[in-house]
Amino acid sequence: MSELLRVEHLKKYFANQKAVDDISFSVSEGEIFGLLGPNGAGKTTLIRMITGIFYPDSGSITFQGKPFDPIHDVRHIGYMPEERGLYKKMKIGEHALYLAQLKGLSRTDALHQVKQWFERLEMQSWWNKKVEDLSKGMSQKLQFVSTVLHEPKLIILDEPFSGLDPVNSNLIKDEIHRLAKNGSTILFSTHRMEQVEEICEKIILVNKGEKILDGTVGAIKQQFKQNHFRIGIPAPTEELLRHAPFDLIRTSEQQQIVQIREGKSTNDVLRYLLDQSIPIHSFEELLPSLNEIFIRLVGDTPAARQFQNA
Amino acid sequence: MYKTFIIIQREYLTRVRKKTFIISTLLFPLLYFGLIFGMGYLAENSKQVLNIALIDESGYFKQTELDQENAVDPSSKVSLVSSKATDVLRDPEAAGFDGFIRMPALDWQRGNDSIFLESKKSYGSGTTSAVQAKLNRIWNRIKNDSLSIDESQQAILQMSQLSIRPKNMEDANANANLAEVIGYIAGFLIYFILLIYGSQVMMGVMEEKTNRIAEVLVSSVRPFQMMMGKIIGIGAVALTQFLLWIGFVFLIYNVTKASGNNMSAASEIVGTMQEVITGINMPLILFCFGFYFLGGFFFYSSLYAAIGSAVNEDLREAQSLSFPVTMLVIISIALMTTAIANPTGPIAVWGSLIPFSSPIVMMARIPYGVPGTVPWWQLGLSMLLLILGFLGTVWFAAKIYRTGILMYGKKPSWGEMLKWVFRKS
Repeated sequence: MSELLRVEHLKKYFANQKAVDDISFSVSEGEIFGLLGPNGAGKTTLIRMITGIFYPDSGSITFQGKPFDPIHDVRHIGYMPEERGLYKKMKIGEHALYLAQLKGLSRTDALHQVKQWFERLEMQSWWNKKVEDLSKGMSQKLQFVSTVLHEPKLIILDEPFSGLDPVNSNLIKDEIHRLAKNGSTILFSTHRMEQVEEICEKIILVNKGEKILDGTVGAIKQQFKQNHFRIGIPAPTEELLRHAPFDLIRTSEQQQIVQIREGKSTNDVLRYLLDQSIPIHSFEELLPSLNEIFIRLVGDTPAARQFQNA
Repeated sequence: MYKTFIIIQREYLTRVRKKTFIISTLLFPLLYFGLIFGMGYLAENSKQVLNIALIDESGYFKQTELDQENAVDPSSKVSLVSSKATDVLRDPEAAGFDGFIRMPALDWQRGNDSIFLESKKSYGSGTTSAVQAKLNRIWNRIKNDSLSIDESQQAILQMSQLSIRPKNMEDANANANLAEVIGYIAGFLIYFILLIYGSQVMMGVMEEKTNRIAEVLVSSVRPFQMMMGKIIGIGAVALTQFLLWIGFVFLIYNVTKASGNNMSAASEIVGTMQEVITGINMPLILFCFGFYFLGGFFFYSSLYAAIGSAVNEDLREAQSLSFPVTMLVIISIALMTTAIANPTGPIAVWGSLIPFSSPIVMMARIPYGVPGTVPWWQLGLSMLLLILGFLGTVWFAAKIYRTGILMYGKKPSWGEMLKWVFRKS
């Protein structure tokens, strides 16, 4: 996979804070990339630089192998900001056309694309409705369509699911996967970890303007695993635990959550249990959720408190 | 360019298609003429005859002479009262009068400058001056008789006057009265455009910000394109409204002209318009009007756009921030009134050169004649300064707009906004 976007040593300081402080990462073509971080971590500022809204103070952005040129490259970027809105008095069809034309599409091309997308998402009957008559979910759908209908190479979605019901969430999720399969690259910014695990292949975690983690979801989980396992055995006795190569973390009648002691392997555990003639129904490694990793990494900063509540 | 054009198109069409645009375009001239003719009609019909009692202690005034004068000017009726004088003094209304004048003993050579028309209601100086004129005509005859001036001599005294009017050497056609009227109309029209359409620009920008569509747009177009698209689009709406009004006027003019001259009121209007068209340099005035309209609109609406981008949805915030800008427009109108009274005075010259007031003040001076009253160099310099001025405000506003449009939270002060302007990007 060739590289679509490369960000190197990007910095943006505002008067009273370092919004983005020396962040580097790269995104390959066709990838679904997660940009994670608590509110105020610098995600939006980072995205605004990638979309050409802000100029970086220093550092470089490379898009499709060339230095990023906001005026021409915005044609290939679709951005759905977190603060998104529509003109209330406009008709839905005209609104979608307008936004497509602002991306640089001719009126004919825009009309063609809008019709196609409206058909796919079953929105044809909305054409002459006014935006103010739409429900929140419906306008979110319209915003999503407006973001992608000029067939951008890079699609940036900032909290795309906020305020969507499960049905529409799934619809958008399926579209994201379909777009990625067709070669679009998706940069997905959120603080909702469970969505990231579901959708993203690679992530970068930022906090207080700095990158604190990046890699594939699987690798990160491996990196932060704590040797926790779920074993399907009856509740162990004191006797059993005394010499066991693991510590009991949580117990229930049929399943035990354990942490394997340092220097011991899974085979050591199994061998020990077999030697004790304990029937084993299941044996499964427990990887930490991104949410847990996240809280572990940023939990002591005030901005991150919200994750513990979530 | 293409994107700016798309924005202009949207801004223009969404406004022109609105019912309020059509209604206001039709209603404004109706209301305007309604107001003018309605006021004339009311003034004509609400005139009341003022009934004044004259308690004459001087012995100069005779009822026959008063009756003669009452017939000449029926707006008031002055009658001598002697028997019921005490009743009138106590309560003129109960005695059947609106008020009374107590004429003291008079010396015909000195007159008296402290005579009062006393009444229970208050009357303006317009009312009293009619009564004053009436009594003075009688008083003049008394003086003439005392000085033994006969009627032919009186006629000489009255007719032989020196009358001085302004006439411009370099502009034979200059017509000061007409210029004054046209100056006022042009100045006020520009004033209305600046305020009404300027605040429309401000509201439009605020709408984009509160709708949260600003960031969506900014990822497709430059903030400068967004701002200019809005300003030009709304300016085009204003221009459309104007052209429609001018169209109406010419339509009415031609219809009344074609329908013949037998309708007195209509033919009067046609006559006046013909005088207007031939008496002044109409093409130059129209050209200048277009120029100062556009220049002034760009100058002010970019400032209003900057303000709209800086505030949140609160209209009061917008008002307090736009107060200094609105004051500039109002000061311009004050300068214009001075400039019309004295179109070559220093206030008129400076006011028509400085960009913030030149659209209004210069438009009020131009009808007096170019190059008679306004030399060519002044007109040229004024236009150049206005172009530089609006380029300046557009630059200034673009800097504020770029930062403000994505900023939520506390309303910035003018000081903070200036920092946005002079911060390096």
